Parts: sequence; C-alpha cells; structure tokens
Amino acid sequence: MKQLWRRLQWFVHRSRFERELDEEMRHHLALKAEERGSVEAANRQFGNVTLWKENSRAMWTGRFWEQVGQDIRYGLRAMTANRLFTAMAVLSLALGIGANTAIYSFMDAIMLRALPVAHPEQLVILNWRAKAGDVPVVRNHTGSSYEEPDGGKTSPDYPYPAYELLRDNNHVFSTVFGYAWAGRLNLLVDGQAELAEGQYVSGGYFAGLGIRPAAGRLIGFDDDRPGAIPVVTIAYSLWQRRFGSSPAALGKTILINGSPFLIAGVSPPEFFGVSPPSAPLVFIPVHDLGLVDSNRYNDVGTRFIDSHFYWIEMMGRLKPGVSLRRAQAALSGQFRQWVASTGQNEKERASVPALWLQEGGSGVDSLRRQYSKPLYILMTMVALILAIACANIANLLLARAAARSREMAVRLSLGAGRLRVVRQLLTESLLLSLSGGALGILVAMLGIRSLTLLLANGRDNFTLGAALDWRVLLFTMLVAIATGIVFGLAHAIQSTKVDITPALKETRAGSSRGRTRRFGLSHLLVVSQIAVSLLLAAAAGLFVRTLENLHSVDVGFNRANVLLFNVNAAQAGYKDAALRNFYTTLHRRFQAIPGVRNATMTHLPLVAGSGSGTGVTIPGLSATNRETMITSLVQIGPEFFETMQVPILLGRPIDARDREDAQVTAVVNEVFAQKYFPGVSPIGRHFGFGGTKPVDTEIVGLARNARYKSLKREIPPVVYISYLQAGKNRPLEWMYFELRTIGDPLALANTVRRVVREVDPQVPVADITTQSRTIDATIAQERTFANLCTCFAALALTMACVGLYATMAYAVTRRTSEIGIRMALGAQRRRIVWMVLREVLVLAAVGLAIGFTAVWQTTKFLQSFLFGLKPNDPLVLAAAVSILIACAILAGYAPAWRASRIDPMVALRHE
Amino acid sequence: MEARSEIPPGTLYMLILKTLARLGSMHGYGIAQHIQQTSDDVLQVEEGSLYPALQRMLIKGWVLAEWRQSENNRRARYYALTPSGRKQLIRELREFERVMAAIGRVIQPA
Repeated sequence: MKQLWRRLQWFVHRSRFERELDEEMRHHLALKAEERGSVEAANRQFGNVTLWKENSRAMWTGRFWEQVGQDIRYGLRAMTANRLFTAMAVLSLALGIGANTAIYSFMDAIMLRALPVAHPEQLVILNWRAKAGDVPVVRNHTGSSYEEPDGGKTSPDYPYPAYELLRDNNHVFSTVFGYAWAGRLNLLVDGQAELAEGQYVSGGYFAGLGIRPAAGRLIGFDDDRPGAIPVVTIAYSLWQRRFGSSPAALGKTILINGSPFLIAGVSPPEFFGVSPPSAPLVFIPVHDLGLVDSNRYNDVGTRFIDSHFYWIEMMGRLKPGVSLRRAQAALSGQFRQWVASTGQNEKERASVPALWLQEGGSGVDSLRRQYSKPLYILMTMVALILAIACANIANLLLARAAARSREMAVRLSLGAGRLRVVRQLLTESLLLSLSGGALGILVAMLGIRSLTLLLANGRDNFTLGAALDWRVLLFTMLVAIATGIVFGLAHAIQSTKVDITPALKETRAGSSRGRTRRFGLSHLLVVSQIAVSLLLAAAAGLFVRTLENLHSVDVGFNRANVLLFNVNAAQAGYKDAALRNFYTTLHRRFQAIPGVRNATMTHLPLVAGSGSGTGVTIPGLSATNRETMITSLVQIGPEFFETMQVPILLGRPIDARDREDAQVTAVVNEVFAQKYFPGVSPIGRHFGFGGTKPVDTEIVGLARNARYKSLKREIPPVVYISYLQAGKNRPLEWMYFELRTIGDPLALANTVRRVVREVDPQVPVADITTQSRTIDATIAQERTFANLCTCFAALALTMACVGLYATMAYAVTRRTSEIGIRMALGAQRRRIVWMVLREVLVLAAVGLAIGFTAVWQTTKFLQSFLFGLKPNDPLVLAAAVSILIACAILAGYAPAWRASRIDPMVALRHE
Repeated sequence: MEARSEIPPGTLYMLILKTLARLGSMHGYGIAQHIQQTSDDVLQVEEGSLYPALQRMLIKGWVLAEWRQSENNRRARYYALTPSGRKQLIRELREFERVMAAIGRVIQPA
C-alpha cells in the first residue's frame, strides 16, 4: 500500500525524478573523473547511461507497464504500417459492433423497457382471447384486435359492465383502472386550434399507475362520474408549448371538440401514457366521453351499460405476493361466467372470449406486435454480420501471422522471450479490437438515429427514444475482444513455435505441423463466411424484389401530383347539413386555387392502410356466410373519378345529379360487379347497405379496379358513394381532400391552410402530404428492410471477399518457391492463375453449397414479409449465387495474378 | 584491467544496506567506493546495477534519499537507512549466513 503510494508520487513528479537522476549521474561521473583523471575514461567505464536510467525508471513503473507501453507503441506502429489490413479489420469490427448495438438497443427499448411509473412490474394488462371465427357476443367493438398465428383473436377492449365487475370484485388486484384511446381531438387554446391525441382515463388511472402531477392535480375518482365538472389533465409538453409552463394555465378553460374543459393539472414530463408509441396530450375522464365524441357515436348513453359494446381497456396492479398466474386463475372463472351470461343462445355462448392476463410493466403491446418480428429478423442479420466480422478478424490475423513468421523468428533468435513475443502480438490484436469497438460506438449512435427515423416513418409524436445501450455495447465489444484474444493467441503461439532456422531461411520445408492446421482453419473461416454471405445476399434479394414488386403495383389511379390533407370540421362543432355545406364550400374554394387542376375529397385516404367496410344486401343473393356479404366503401366528393383518374368502364360517374334528396346512387368496382352480379351488367341494379337496411341504392357506374387499402392485399369489392348521400348510412365526420396540381403539390400547402383559415379559423388542417408519399409510407417497412438488407449483404460480401483475399494471398506467399519451380519447369502463367483460382472456386463452391442449404431451410421464415414472390424465388437465389461467385473470383484473381507474375529466378533464389 | 569479481547475485542489496549502516548516510559514488575499498578491490559495483538497486530500495522504503552538500562542496543525493531498512539488513545477513554455511558444508573436504 505504501509502495503504491510512493509509486504514485513518483508518477506525479516524473520530470523531477528525471532531473534528479541526471544530476546524480553527473555527480557520480565528476567524482569518477577526478579519481581517473580523465572524463573519457570515466565515461567509458560508466557504460550505457541510457540503459541504467531506463532500468532505474523501470524500478518505479514496474517492468510490466513499461513493456505494455512499448507493446502499444509498437502495435500502433504496426497498425499504421499495414493500413489496408488495419482499415479492413477495424472497419468490419466497427460495423459489426455498431449494427448489433443499434438493433439490440431498439430491441431493449421496445421489448423490455419499463413504463416510467411506480412499480411497473406489478402492472397487468387484461386481454381476452377468442377462438377462430366470429365472436357473436361482441356486437360492437372500437379499439384494437390482433389475429393470432392460430387464427384466433386477441383484444384488450371490454364492455364497461365487465370493467366494473372486475374492478369491484377481485381479491388479486389492489386497483383496476380503465382507459380508451380518444383519437385525435380538436384542441382550442386561446382561440388557436390544433389537433392533439387524447386518452380517456378512469378516475383510478393516475392513482393506479402511481403518477404524481407536475402541477395542479391529476384526474381522480371525483372527476370521473356523470355530472362532474369536466376537467382534463394535460401533458407536460402541451403545458410547456402552449402555456410556457405557467401555473396560470391551471383552472383555464380549453375547448376539446367544442366542449369546454377546465385544466386541472399537468402530468409529469416523462409520462407518456401506457402505450409507448403514442403520447396523448390530453387525458379526459371516461365519463366525459359524450362531450368529446357526441358526433360520432349516438350511443354515448348506452355505452356504460351495453354488455355487447367492447371499448374500454384495463390494467390492474397486483397485490403484493400475488402472481400473474394466480390472478389469471382467480379472474378467468369470474369473467367466463359474466360473458356467458351475455350470450343469447347456446351458439353464442360456445364462442365467448376468455380472459388472458399479460405483464403490463412495459405498457400496451401494440408496438411490440408491430415491430418485434422485423426486429428479430434484423437481429439475426446483424448477429450474422458480427460473426462474419469476427471471422474476418481471425482470418486477417492468421494471414498476417504467416507473413510475419520471419519477423518472429528474427525476434526469437535475437533472444526475445516467447512470452514476451506472445504478449506483444496479443497487444496488437487487442488494439485492433478496441479501435474497432470505439468506432463501433460511433456507428451505433448513427445507426440508432437513422433507425429511429426509419421506424417513426414521418410520425412527429414518435416517443420511442432508444438510447445507446451500454450493456449491449459492452457485450458486443467483449465478443470482438474475445475474438481478438482467441485468434491473436492462437496466432501468437503458433508464430512463436516456429522452428527458427527454416523460418529464417524461408524454405518450403518450413511448413510445420502447426502451419498446415492453420491453413485449414482459415479455409474453414472463409467457407463459413461465404455461406453466411449467401444467406444475407439471398435475404436482401428477396426484400429488394418485394420492394420492386410493390413499386410496380398498378394502383389503378394516377398517384402523381396529388396534394392530400385532412380537415375535421365535426370536431369544431359542425353537424349534419352544416358539416356537409362546410366541406362543399371548402371544395369550391380549393378548386379556385391557381395551380389546382381538379379537386375532390374522400372520407379516407386511398392506399393509406385505412378502410371502412359494411355489409351488403343483394336481392336474390342470400348470405351463406356473413364474411362474404361485405364491401369496402369510400365516400367521395365531386369530380372524384376525374381527379384521381380512375376510368369509368360502364355507365356514369357520381356527379351533381346525386344530391342529398335524390335517389341514392353508387359506382362499384369490377371486383364488386363480378362478385355480386356475375355475368351481367351491374348498371341499374340495386343493393342495400347492411343486413337489414332497405335495398335502396342504385348502381349507376362501373369503375376500373383501383387499390383501396393497401398495395399488398387483394383489391376488395368497393362501393363509391357521394358524401352527400352517405349520411343516411354512415355519419360524416372528417374529410380528406385530394388536389391534383400542375406543379409540386406541396408548394400549395400554405395556400390550403390560408383558405381553410379564411373559412373557419377554428378548423385546423392536418396531415398535409402527397398521395404518392402516403402510398410510400405504407411500404416503409419493406423499404427499410430492402435498404438495410442490401447494406448488410454488401457488408457481408465485402468482408467475405477480404477474408478470401487474405487467405489466398497468404497461400500464394507460402507457395512462392513452389510456383517458381513450376514456372522454371515450363508452367504457363495461365495455368498458374487457374491453379490459384481453382482453389478459390473450390472454397466458394463448398461455401455456397452450405449456404444454399441454409437459405433453403430459413427463407420460409421471411414469407410474411414478401410480396409477389416465393421465399425460394429461383431468380433471387440464382442472382445471389452468381454475385457471390463473381465476388469470389474477383477476390481470388489478385493473388492469382500475383502468383503468375512470380519471377522464377527471384523465387528460387529466395531460398 | 585488474581482475575483479562480480558481486554474487542477490547480495547487492545486503552490501548497500551494510555500507549505509556503517557510514550513516552516503551518496551513490561513495557507496560504490566503500564496497570496492573494503573488499580490497575484489568487489566492483556496476553503476548500471547500483542506481536501479537504490531506486528499488527507495520504493521498498528501506532507504531515504536527501540532497545535501558533499564534503567537496558538490550537491549530491545522500542515502540513509530507515528502521525497516535496518530490519531488512538483519534478515538478509541471517539468510546469507545460512546459505554460506550450507555451501561451506557442501564444499568441505570429506
């Protein structure tokens, strides 16, 4: 301990130490010179001054650190001497480590991160599951449901009575609270309108989550009952943005969809609700739902008593000591009994949903459902990349060891200790790994940033902030360092085992047992690299083809030069006729904008992932199965077919004749006509919406098929109906406008905003984009995959080529004299090239054979991500194989060419 | 060159410690001189090992160093024993005697 202290002090006063040592030496020499009578004699006898100073210094630093310093210096010098080698090794490691860290950090953020609430591990999400097919007790459902792989259905939404039952009668939860998504609401603060996401919350929501307010108070039980004064809790970001974090905001009134609400308090900055991708800005008591939603639902009154209307989600907090399993057991019976009592007959009771509890610590799992599978695929890919990178490091180290065996022999013969040489080589491999890791941090940070952009896909309220995960980084770095150590050690030990004499002479006979084995190892590494590269190349090919196929899908209308945006006047208080008139006025104003060719509107954007379906009644066609008698629907404005350029094949488009009070008319697409009126002209025929509604709609036109909801799905039967006439069946709410422009559509964005503001400043314009961007956004995941995979595959190929090149270059070096003899005996240069290339091709063939088997076995897991091709698409596989063979030849040609240029005289004299 | 013997390995510390015990405090040159003279020029201390050894002893805490004016008015670094250096000397002497006695028994004519 004391010694350490003295050493530390020495370190601090290093320079004084040097000075003192110098002075001491001068003193010694002076005395000696006096004794000898001459300075020269003294100097001569004194010997190597530097050495003894160095030795004195080494006493303090310890020989170990002194040598570590030396090793590092030498290692750095060696790294700069072999720039290509260093760059290759460091870059492949950096990319391997960086890509892994980025993807795994996302994985962590999506899969594992806990909600910023008190004791998130106690939270439980209450879901239900139903078997495949219809669930007749669910008559009405708003919220979400997911298809399970077995065809069953999962949903988190319940009828309000079920929520009350489970909230009030259970012994496993300390609290149960409910919530429901309120959608985007029109928020009017100080006369300024904006759209904000909202969430309905029960009185126990904030208390149940254990959230403390940032200001004021949060919604409590007293706020969530009929007749209470309407209050809201606003999100911290809204408070900051619109009120400058002023306490004066509390008690202020804001209008939500036209209804006044008092601001009671502000939620803390880190809180974003329970569903990670979204971040509600206002939290509204569940019982005030009617104030906000009156326009859309005429059922507000019955919502809280209807046992067949599934809409509220719930979470429970486990009592201490209660396990998820026990809670599941305790509640499922209770729920089964209740839900069975809502069935009206045996058939309905046979397929009721069953309660299914899930851990809720990381929030509602919509995000996980959306991204987990793509992330697993990406994770597999980056893991493979890391494997290739490590194999590459190993290979490069092995090849370099061969090149340096002479250097090692020289060092050993000059008396370097074997351990010392091993340590030095190890230092070099570690230096490589560490610089790779350091650069990897940079790659990881860039990767995380670009992945966030990719996943957010243009959404500005994307709250999934993945941060660099240091544990993951540490892990990947450890893998890299371990590779450096293992292969560095292997190479170091083998290098120092060389039989010095032959190595110095560099004869053919120098291939000792160790060398042959090393040769085999590097071949093995190259073969596996080629196999893995093929796997990645094939995956990339599949995703690129998928993207190509999606791009070449004929949408059935002209997607170019269309400005698309959303206006919701219903939330600003417009209803029925006033609402229709508002949209009609807007449409007329838009048409008058200079630069607009035509304008139309639809109640949903085309090919944007959203759809609206309804049942149909066709006279003479009976429903064999409820599923088959449905159609998709678009409410359209004037000039829809002209603006979108959807050709009318028969009859006429919807036009000015189709007013509110006129005969209800519709244009149908070809799929609809073929399905419901096979073999006959649909024009003049009648059908009805829904199962029980009258057959009052006349088909006046047949439109060519156009994509409706997505590029991938088959085109469904579609009915186009005027927004003026649709009100009888479906209440009108928001409207999307499509403006076909002469120039760049987005250049008109501000004009459009101004026009809407002029008509009514309380109605905001939202989601301004273009039709082609909207379509592109639906295939963002495919594009991300195609881009990432192409990058990964290119990376893998490059690394495999480097590995192959290193192996062959080494083989050629090793065989220099053999090749020299061959050439001296008359071998043609061409034959020499072929000899080397043949070896390359054999390696490639083995790698490809293994890789091909792997591809054949694994691509089926990608099935659900592909479009328009089979997982084992022959074209893609053939392309991947040819690219790999081409790369192998390319990588092998340089060494082969070099081999053929060997001068026999030089090669033979080399011995 | 006169014939000089190398200092037996491991005994340099002991010689330095003993010299300092005898002289009180001394600079490096003086220590080397003293060892040479008292051994009748048989033992010659190499500067290359003397100074590293002194540094080592500083780390171990057996000696202390201090700059002083020497008798002929030069600034010199003087080394002096510490209590722990004194203990070390006793240890080394005992060990040395033990080894010498053992060697003596081996080479004694039978």
